[in-house]
Amino acid sequence: MIQIQNVRQNYRAGETVVQALRGVSCEIPAGAFTFIVGPSGSGKSSLLYLLGALDEPASGEIVVGGRSLSQLTPGERDAFRRDDVGFIFQNFNLLNNLNAVDNVLVPYLPGGVSAQRREEAVRLLSRVGLGDRLDHRPNQLSGGEQQRVAIARALLKRPLLVLADEPTGELDSESGAEIYRHLRALCREQQSTIVIVTHDRSFIDDGDMVLTIRDGRISSE
Amino acid sequence: MTPLLQFAFRNLLTRPLRSLLSLIGLTVAIMAMVGLFSVANGLDRMIHDTFERIPGMIAVQPGAPIPLFSRLPSAWGAEIAEVPGVGVVNAEVWARAQIIEGKQVFSPPRFLFGTDIPSRIKLKHGVYRDALEEGRFLQPSDSGTLNTVISRRIADEFGKKVGDTLRVDGQPLTIVGIYYCDSLFLDVTIILDIDTVRRMSRTGADTVSAFYVELAEGATSEEVIAGVQERFRDRKLNAVDPASLLNMAMGGPAVSDSGAQGGAVAEWIASLLTPNQNPPGNPSIPENPSSEAAENTSEAGESVEELPLEIRSVEDWTSDFEKFSADLDIFLIIMTGIGVTIAVVSILNTMLMSVTERSIEFGILKANGWSRRDILLLIGLESGMLGLTGGICGAAIGWVATLIINFYWAERVYLYAGPGLLMSSVAFSTLLGIAGGVYPAFLAARMTPMEAIRRG
Ligand SMILES: Nc1ncnc2c1ncn2[C@@H]1O[C@H](COP(=O)(O)OP(=O)(O)OP(=O)(O)O)[C@@H](O)[C@H]1O
Ligand SMILES: [Mg+2]
Repeated sequence: MIQIQNVRQNYRAGETVVQALRGVSCEIPAGAFTFIVGPSGSGKSSLLYLLGALDEPASGEIVVGGRSLSQLTPGERDAFRRDDVGFIFQNFNLLNNLNAVDNVLVPYLPGGVSAQRREEAVRLLSRVGLGDRLDHRPNQLSGGEQQRVAIARALLKRPLLVLADEPTGELDSESGAEIYRHLRALCREQQSTIVIVTHDRSFIDDGDMVLTIRDGRISSE
Repeated sequence: MTPLLQFAFRNLLTRPLRSLLSLIGLTVAIMAMVGLFSVANGLDRMIHDTFERIPGMIAVQPGAPIPLFSRLPSAWGAEIAEVPGVGVVNAEVWARAQIIEGKQVFSPPRFLFGTDIPSRIKLKHGVYRDALEEGRFLQPSDSGTLNTVISRRIADEFGKKVGDTLRVDGQPLTIVGIYYCDSLFLDVTIILDIDTVRRMSRTGADTVSAFYVELAEGATSEEVIAGVQERFRDRKLNAVDPASLLNMAMGGPAVSDSGAQGGAVAEWIASLLTPNQNPPGNPSIPENPSSEAAENTSEAGESVEELPLEIRSVEDWTSDFEKFSADLDIFLIIMTGIGVTIAVVSILNTMLMSVTERSIEFGILKANGWSRRDILLLIGLESGMLGLTGGICGAAIGWVATLIINFYWAERVYLYAGPGLLMSSVAFSTLLGIAGGVYPAFLAARMTPMEAIRRG
């Protein structure tokens, strides 16, 4: 369960202050497959980054799984990002100097990777159809393949929350459909809550929750 | 290799040229460090090695750094021999050889070492005699002759062997023996009878450079030092004895206080020069007895310090040289510091460039739950690897260079880069690498993940 209470976010660009979020409040039930839609510049990405504790709001409260993000210590925020949130970016954001398996294992590299975890990473990569590309670097993979590595990375930790910012934005519709297939299957299995920002409504199913943002506010649809 | 180390390593390889350049900077700095300190270490080793072979004590003129610069009265040898604990006293005259086989001696230096042969061969340990390789050592029948024992180095330099003649300062010396100590300090001497060197260096019979003192069985050096101090406490080391100068000029026997004429002249000059002679009929009365007493004690104190003769054990010499090498170390640290500063700036620059370029990467890592500490660790590993590699390369090249220099200039220098120096320069270099990464790492770790991603 995610509770968002009156969240505001401002960006300062020189003299001008951009109000990206102007008081967003809503609740996302645990296990929901959620879409955030809305026009360009409406504040979708801004909200998503706040949910993943990648950024801090100007004001307001975000509670994920009973924990208020603004009250976490820096160490707890790191642990939250490492263990509870899986982030998927539009441009994949894999690390070029790591092969597919190590990219999946990246959250655990500093602390050391157990053999069991490595096996799990290989299993997940096989699940998304990359069982024969384990040693390949990102620049040896197609966009769709890279995004599947990113999905494996986000889901290896069995997170509470999967956040995806336009995950199919740079892919053709066929690869996009495949990404959604994997996302839906894995999230159902792991009972993760998922929030996806998208322009493309064609992947939204009937049972999904949809939040529409306009001008930094939730508008009911 | 752990995945994190692999990751750090690949990050360095992403920009191979840049990493290589900062590696070269560090390598050169560490090489210079190894090279400079190998000079000091070589000197230390040589000194210790040399003194280890000379178990006795050396009596010299106070303040003389080496016997070459010392002058003492010959007669004191017999007196030193009477000090309890003294075994053998060997009189030495040292002089510098100026021309050998028509060639001016410049570097390495060569010394004429005149030794009193009868007492020399009574020594239990004679550093040159023990190192004899060919021929024989000097024996009493060599007294007054031009027979000499020279080092293998000198023999090789002039292509001489036992039985050949070596012309030194115009004298045709006959080589009767060849020694080899394998020490730059010891293999510089041409050993002759003491009177031969006196003649060659125009030194009077009443003068020696130093006495080598071998202790009696069971005696301690402290005991002998105390005994010598006791015996020579009230003695004055006269600056120049005019009588002996006069005698030398006239070619007569250079004996200071036995020549009647010379002695009279000396006494006359001395009486003119001696102050504090109270004019008759004007007796001075001490005005303040206590102040006079104080003066007396202070004089007594000085006379202990300004003993006319200084007798030093091997350890004393070593500690003198240690003071010198500590001074040398300060100089070396400054020199090394310059090179090291440049190397650190180069690493700093490399890591700074790398970190600013890679801010997206750090954002991604943070989005994946990496803490500030983890980021610091990664950058520390990268710059530490640069430091370690630079250190290993620098130490290896520096070490090989010392071996090459020692081989080709064996006559002139002895450099020593031991495991201690090599290992500490590698460790030092690694620390430098890490230090160069600290500031960039701090910059990278400070940003929130979003800032880092947006900045890219
Ligand atoms: N770092 C920033 N500095 C200044 N303004 C920013 C910054 N980041 C975002 N904004 C502004 O905040 C507003 C919301 O941005 P955000 O990225 O959340 O929109 P979005 O809904 O994700 O748009 P898109 O669909 O185009 O990705 C926009 O007007 C944007 O220009
Ligand atoms: Mg966006």
